[in-house]
Amino acid sequence: MSAVRVEGLSGGYRPGQEALRDVSFAAGPGQVVGVLGPNGGGKTTLFRALLGELPVRRGEVTLAGAPAYVPQTERARLDFPVSALDVALMGAYGRTPWYRRLGRRERDAARDALARVGLTAVADETFGALSGGQRQRVLLARALVQDAPVLLLDEPLSGVDGASAAGIERVFGELRDEGRTLLVATHDVHQAASWDLVLCVHGRQVAVGKPRETLTPDVLRETYGAELIVLEGGDAAVGVGHHAH
Amino acid sequence: MQRALVEVLLLAVPAGVLGSWIVLRRLAFFAHAVGTVTFPGLVVAGPWGVAPQLTALAAALGFGAAQERLGRGGRLAPDAATGLLLVAALAVGVVLASDVYESGAGVDSLLFGTLIGLRASDLWFTAAVAAGALVLDAALRRSWLAAGFEPASARSLGLRTARSDRLLLVGIAAAAVVALSAVGALLVAVILVVPAATVRLVCTRLAALQLGATALAAAEGTVALWWADRLNVGPGPAMAVLGGAVFAAVALWTARTRAGAAP
Amino acid sequence: MLGWLIDPFGGTIMQHALAEVLVLSLACGPLGVWVLLYRDAYAAESMSHGMLPGLVVAALAGAPLLVGAAGGVLVAAAGIALVARDERLGGDVGVAVCVSALFGLGAMLALSPAAPPRLQELLFGDLLGVTTADLLAAGALVVGVGLGLAAWARPLALAAFERASAPSLGARPARCELILLVLLAVTTVAAVQGLGNLLLFALIVAPAAAALRLGRHLRTVLALAAGLAALAGVAGLLVSFHLGIATGASVAMCALVPAFAAMLVPARVRRR
Repeated sequence: MSAVRVEGLSGGYRPGQEALRDVSFAAGPGQVVGVLGPNGGGKTTLFRALLGELPVRRGEVTLAGAPAYVPQTERARLDFPVSALDVALMGAYGRTPWYRRLGRRERDAARDALARVGLTAVADETFGALSGGQRQRVLLARALVQDAPVLLLDEPLSGVDGASAAGIERVFGELRDEGRTLLVATHDVHQAASWDLVLCVHGRQVAVGKPRETLTPDVLRETYGAELIVLEGGDAAVGVGHHAH
Repeated sequence: MQRALVEVLLLAVPAGVLGSWIVLRRLAFFAHAVGTVTFPGLVVAGPWGVAPQLTALAAALGFGAAQERLGRGGRLAPDAATGLLLVAALAVGVVLASDVYESGAGVDSLLFGTLIGLRASDLWFTAAVAAGALVLDAALRRSWLAAGFEPASARSLGLRTARSDRLLLVGIAAAAVVALSAVGALLVAVILVVPAATVRLVCTRLAALQLGATALAAAEGTVALWWADRLNVGPGPAMAVLGGAVFAAVALWTARTRAGAAP
Repeated sequence: MLGWLIDPFGGTIMQHALAEVLVLSLACGPLGVWVLLYRDAYAAESMSHGMLPGLVVAALAGAPLLVGAAGGVLVAAAGIALVARDERLGGDVGVAVCVSALFGLGAMLALSPAAPPRLQELLFGDLLGVTTADLLAAGALVVGVGLGLAAWARPLALAAFERASAPSLGARPARCELILLVLLAVTTVAAVQGLGNLLLFALIVAPAAAALRLGRHLRTVLALAAGLAALAGVAGLLVSFHLGIATGASVAMCALVPAFAAMLVPARVRRR
């Protein structure tokens, strides 16, 4: 029983201009899928399609439930009058009708989520006053409050300090144990190699499968269009050079 | 009437030259605001016995400085800062006009223009600004173009964009000041933005844009003068309606030709 | 001292004016917060300026100002939306063309006839001419805006804070922007009687600007904005009465002073 099943997904932002073609894969509960690809290669487009936010879309998408989305912190307003707790609480907005106040239960859930990402100390700080890594963790906490079976994370570890990164990865493990499915867009090929599945996209699906079998030099070259240096043992590769435009 | 015509023709020069930059550099709101904020300056000029161009320029430059300070450092979005300063100037102007100096019906001509009572000194002022606009444009157009296209790289090209941009804003402020007598404080955009925007719909090359905008501003201004005289209103509203109609016509016509050409 | 505060409000005219500003502040304050959070200040200013022809036509025809205001706002909003579609011009250029054309049209309609309407009242407001009917109309509109803001508070916050994830939390950003514009239009129509179409921007944006600098949580900011707007109304009426100056401008200035003062408070955002 898959939590995420995608068949022949294609789509884009304008009719006639497809940013993404022919994506098909399935991921089960408790699996972490690394989504690899260059900037502009379709990772964000894929997430938008899964969220139902892509203007032009063909193909089938089946999800175990509405996904939670953890964007990069740069996309959030830093001058918004919200504390870390307020942001975490937003995770409950989707399931609370407008006339019902957010009560004890939701607040506790938000506090618990902040505790899980190690931010209890700064719960009442203004969001914009936190560091980049802390803000990323707050956005992750918000997704935790949402309690969704599927989470989409857009480069959650880029530009994040070491301590925050470790905290985030620990939460990944917990979510996996809880039987949730994570799709993580990342540039870190090495890290993606440690997960359950990898999906390589570059305008279209290049490959999908277990990392060991999928992350071959050919696949990586096709995904990133870069010169590769294959290291000893053949199971790790480093991409060097230009982005294709 | 003679002087009014000369004034309008002289105004066409900054309207075309600087107006094109207003459109290209997306400074329309600034141009509208810098005209509006001169209102309190205009109100006090008569009672204080000072040339209105001077008080207006002081108000305009003060606004520019304040807007830069407020919009800097993420305190307030630039648009919000502009809007607040604009409405503050209007409120102060209203109080000065109605309760302090009792300007009465004169307020209408300050807000919407009147070319009655133009003096030779006013024409000289406008001519000076027109000449200044040409000089600034010749000297700084490359910098303005580079900064408008991509600010960060412009600096690396060795262009002092901060200084030249500030001079552009000063130039626009000066143009707004001399346009006040013709169109009034509230309709400065009618002469500084609308003709250039209309020509922009059909023209992308800078030189052609500037020439076209100058010609259109001169034509619209002349017709507006005649029309305003017939209707007994200030030239500002007449030019606003005329300019708007021309713009709408050109926009519709070009939209249709573009739609026809699209695959 | 108390007399100084209470005496002005002895007569019906001032009582109506007071009721009007208090009612308006309930909508203008919170709405202004959203206008600033959505970076829509220019749209707010343009809509209020561009509605002038509607006001003038209503005044010439002897129709209720509210009707003219509604028509004026609709035309202005439609015009702005049309020009905004054109990609050749930058966003604000098209709007500037549309607004100045409409504004000039309004002025022409107002200044050319033999029996001109009181243009300066349309521009700067006639707070002391508010009738009971006007109050009831404004009240109804404000209630509508208040309900709208309450019902859409969470989606508005989600879409403003971080657009991409808003749909997964039950908010559609495009719809939120539209809702905000509609509420802004309704508030503009309600406020034009008292403050005039040039000055109402002050009561919408200034208290909100101050509140955003001073408040730490969104709900505090919204309440603070309403409070500052109400305070501006009361103070404005008092100053206007005691100093004998124009009422609308007085209210506007009392709203602006806290806003500019609040700009001196340093921001709480970490600079990267």
